[in-house]
Amino acid sequence: MAAVFNLNHPPHIAHWHFIYLSVPNIIVIVVMLVAFALAILLPFPKHKVDRSPS
Amino acid sequence: MSATSDGSGRKNWTVELRKRAVAALPPEKLLPDGQPAYMSSWIYVFGVLSLASLVVLILSGSILALKGPTWWHVTGIGHFFNSMHLWSVELFFFFMVIHLWGKYWMAAWRGGRKRTWITGAVTFLVAIPCALTGYVSQQNFDSQWISTQAKDAMNAVGIGAFFNLLDFGQMYSWHIFLLPMAVVALVAAHVLLVRKHGIVPPFILDGHEQVLAAAASDGAEAAEAADAADAPDGQPEPATEAPAPPTGEPEPTG
Repeated sequence: MAAVFNLNHPPHIAHWHFIYLSVPNIIVIVVMLVAFALAILLPFPKHKVDRSPS
Repeated sequence: MSATSDGSGRKNWTVELRKRAVAALPPEKLLPDGQPAYMSSWIYVFGVLSLASLVVLILSGSILALKGPTWWHVTGIGHFFNSMHLWSVELFFFFMVIHLWGKYWMAAWRGGRKRTWITGAVTFLVAIPCALTGYVSQQNFDSQWISTQAKDAMNAVGIGAFFNLLDFGQMYSWHIFLLPMAVVALVAAHVLLVRKHGIVPPFILDGHEQVLAAAASDGAEAAEAADAADAPDGQPEPATEAPAPPTGEPEPTG
């Protein structure tokens, strides 16, 4: 993993006006937005309710 | 609040407390065996995911606290628990933010759930300094860098004399005792309020009121009845926000 993700340097920064975010933080925010969208859009698995008396 | 009789003529505050607790949260409400069918959505999962992350966070943090900085810096198993603590807090905030978004957009403070919303929001705010004090308690160059940078922020808002980020002992106390206690107390209150008032129903699209009303579930009806009885601010659910789920049947919680 260390070879794939070399962390021995300062992070890349996205700077636009007052917005100042590191690329890793942008990735996390984007993943959160994607997870939020998927949580709303994806159907929840359903299963039958057994109401027979035990 | 005055103490009342326990039936024998004596005043007993424990009996009064028990009666109030059971009245507010009867066992079938505290530990229900079903939930409204509208809860069958992934967006309702992020609250319990936050809770699960918090449990892992506390367990891994307790082990780190017992073993100390040398252990978590120089041993393999120490690195493992250190990483577990880091990633559980990352997931805690990840899930908590999505939970916050979901509840914000469905206006989860409706139907007498203001205190539920407020305790959740305050938990989020208290968790931030809890995480910050953890980052400055790592006992490495990273924590030194963070503490010197963040000290400027504390000085800028005028609390640098009381909240000294360069003082490891003070930060460690905040991190492993004071702030976690606050977070756990707030989360406990939040979960109990969710149990008391029930899960907030989703907004109903125009034209779907009758379909949803016809498919009202047992769990949702119970939650609404509880809301009507418990809502302290006198804000019952609007008629267009019927609790009825599209599919009708309540889902078992397992």
